[in-house]
Amino acid sequence: MIKNPLLIIIFSIFTFSAFAEDVPIEGTVQSRCIITTDTPGVFGNPNAYTLTTAATDGGVLPVVRYDVTLADAYYAQITTPTSFSSSPTISETITWTGSTEVDAISDATGMASYETNKVTFGQTTQYDLTATGSTWFKSSVSATMGGNKAFPGGTYTAIVEAVCVAQ
Amino acid sequence: MKRLLVTLFFILVASNSLAHDMTPTYPELKPSYMEGLLVADFELLNKRNDVRYYEVAVFDKDWNPIPFVTAYKVIPVPYLSTVSVDLFIRDKDKLIVTYICSKSKLRKSYETQTIISSRICSKVKRLGE
Repeated sequence: MIKNPLLIIIFSIFTFSAFAEDVPIEGTVQSRCIITTDTPGVFGNPNAYTLTTAATDGGVLPVVRYDVTLADAYYAQITTPTSFSSSPTISETITWTGSTEVDAISDATGMASYETNKVTFGQTTQYDLTATGSTWFKSSVSATMGGNKAFPGGTYTAIVEAVCVAQ
Repeated sequence: MKRLLVTLFFILVASNSLAHDMTPTYPELKPSYMEGLLVADFELLNKRNDVRYYEVAVFDKDWNPIPFVTAYKVIPVPYLSTVSVDLFIRDKDKLIVTYICSKSKLRKSYETQTIISSRICSKVKRLGE
């Protein structure tokens, strides 16, 4: 029991004087390009001498998403592989084929021309990202062993390179 | 129903986020505290849970490499972390430096798959541009 009235007053002051403090949340919006791995691809093995990402052959197409917040500021360059980054020892020559195409777009008007305006050089496909938003690109990759010989048993990994270059 | 689908879409997109982000798009070269060196700073955000390291490189407009100095050439960026990087180049290279790039470093996988390597290149902004 508090008997001293002075103490009661002091406690009352501390109890009722809430120390209100504003907590700021700050953020800066900058132009940027974000590359997101949407789906890592998987090789299917429809026959002994072929590895392919085609869905009909048990594979999964690798899909990469580009998010840009500034129009006409970036190129997307996607390069399909021409070698395995890890694999069992292979003595035969491997024939690689690859292609990239637009899988989905977030802006049906601004991005409609991406596929028709793409430029392909070698294994690389370049898109001019002329609109803001998200674009999904899918790549088809196929590796065929020379002489129709069988791929040795083991794990195979190949790398698709997704590049975003400021213009 | 439509709202539910939109919400579900964003949840799925967010949960599958494996992103590589580098800002700014146009870094500036500024005088550094060391004579004869310029500095450009940029930030790396790693939202790829399969990547822990990013390699930095500097190029001219024809993609020829240009010497530079950073604390680490291969920069550790923990998952869901942002790392600020100071990149130093020689004063004599200031007119030819064009691109500063960061590239994901991938580990060997144990699955039969195609892995996606990401590389983002910012373009150096010079005074007057």
